[in-house]
Amino acid sequence: MKQTACIFFTVLIFMTAVSSIEAQITVSQDGEHSSIAEAVSMAMPGDTITVTEGIYREHDIRIKKPLTLVGEGRPVIDGGDNGYIILITADSVTVSGFEIINTGRSYIRDYAAIMIEKASDFVIEDNRLDNVFFGIYLAETNRGVVRNNHVESYDRREASSGNGIHLWNVKNPVIENNRVTGMRDGIYLEFAENARIMGNISNDNNRYGLHYMFSNGGVYYENTFRRNGAGVAVMYSENVDMKNNRFENNWGATSYGLLLKDIRNSTIEGNRFYRNTTAIYSESSSNILIRRNDVELNGWAVNIKSSSARNRFEENNFIENSFDVRTDSPRNNNHFEGNYWSAYEGYDLDRDGIGDVPYRPVSLFSIIIDRQPESLILMRSMFIRLLDTAERIAPVLTPKTLFDEKPKMTRIQ
Amino acid sequence: MRGGSILKIFIVTAVLITGCEPTPQPIELGSDQCAYCRMMITEQEFGSQVLNKQGRSFKFDSVECMAAFDLTDEQVEVHSKWVPDFLNRDTWLLAEEARYLHSETLRSPMGMYLSAYGSREDAERMKEEYGGSILSYEEVRSLVREEWLSGNRNNHMHH
Repeated sequence: MKQTACIFFTVLIFMTAVSSIEAQITVSQDGEHSSIAEAVSMAMPGDTITVTEGIYREHDIRIKKPLTLVGEGRPVIDGGDNGYIILITADSVTVSGFEIINTGRSYIRDYAAIMIEKASDFVIEDNRLDNVFFGIYLAETNRGVVRNNHVESYDRREASSGNGIHLWNVKNPVIENNRVTGMRDGIYLEFAENARIMGNISNDNNRYGLHYMFSNGGVYYENTFRRNGAGVAVMYSENVDMKNNRFENNWGATSYGLLLKDIRNSTIEGNRFYRNTTAIYSESSSNILIRRNDVELNGWAVNIKSSSARNRFEENNFIENSFDVRTDSPRNNNHFEGNYWSAYEGYDLDRDGIGDVPYRPVSLFSIIIDRQPESLILMRSMFIRLLDTAERIAPVLTPKTLFDEKPKMTRIQ
Repeated sequence: MRGGSILKIFIVTAVLITGCEPTPQPIELGSDQCAYCRMMITEQEFGSQVLNKQGRSFKFDSVECMAAFDLTDEQVEVHSKWVPDFLNRDTWLLAEEARYLHSETLRSPMGMYLSAYGSREDAERMKEEYGGSILSYEEVRSLVREEWLSGNRNNHMHH
């Protein structure tokens, strides 16, 4: 009797062990399971669901337990313009290998292709999202990785486009090597702590390629932001490191390579700003180190409002910009030192590589066109050159203390 | 014929003179920039504006940005403040006459969950569906002052 009980328990333990080793469920269009939502609801925590090739017309797939959902041969989940498509509310969920299309659109609900809410340690990887309102939406999450996804939507009406990758109230997210295009903001952060955003390409979005709001202590590096409606905006945040990114071709009346508003204690280093209306715009921002960036062929290299203070521009290359620095006050609370300015016309008699006379990057003409925008048609005229040269020798209207005392003679490598 | 033209000119002039009362300007979505936070304005249902006495419009991406501007700006001579009706986004409402719903299920551009309505009934109806509380414009101003302008917003997480 005792022995039977022993065997019984051994078998029971063995069976539990087997069932806790992840079971494998296959969903296919003509197989035993043809619905992803059904497979999800019958799966045990820790199971892997493999979805094979085909089109699955489903939305509101709710994942409430740890699961791995893998697409084989890139199956399509078509939401048919209804609501959310996948909603994740459990920890440790993986979704990879899908094409997810056609979410609902709403003025009130942020319908997303993949919504992750109050969960941690998820992996959203290698998915293609098309014609979606919001793409991947993280709300109140911790850790978790969003990697190698493509999000696009070609609805150019702003009001009906949401953000590609949207982060709200999250901690420690990793957003890596994604491509986002045609959305409102490519990547949007609101109350995101310690975000790591790297290697993404965010092009042709209606508003910003990347948009930081109230998000402290993050880094973003090696991303590319091109042809976005208004460039990249970093607002109301501190301790943000911005390194080795490319801000390119953001043209338009209110377009910036990088817009800084109320930013403190941050670093902007090794980035390339190329052909933007204004490469760097700064308002009410302080203690920012702007170092070793290439700022080339922009309308304005820097537009710094007098509300910005204690920012340092060091060892940047300012090359062939229509205007180098623009500001709205005769006072200057920021420091420029050791930059290379292609417009510098000074000399270096002691041959130490540093110009012997300071460079004044705010031209008189830029002040004139601030007051009289129509005078822009005089740009590059002989008259303006004479005025600018006279002003550089004896500044009257340009900020007297805004100069680079040690301008480099050659481009910094 | 000639008399007709003169009459037309007279009417046009009369309209111009009497029509000098500033009125809300349309917001160019995807191009106009918020006069407070500098964000591009993209959502008509939140885009607000302040008119000064010369009729110039200062546009905002959200009710909260307009309230923040209202609380901090000392230069603009304010003529009137306008917010869009969330349920009928082409309609402009005077900020002081509108009712506001503050509901965490209705996101707004600067994250303060504020939407405006033309009547208390509309606001009540939305409150029944989305929860939250109904505020007057003065209460919106206090909320913005306490939750945003006090400066500790970044540390204030919603968990």
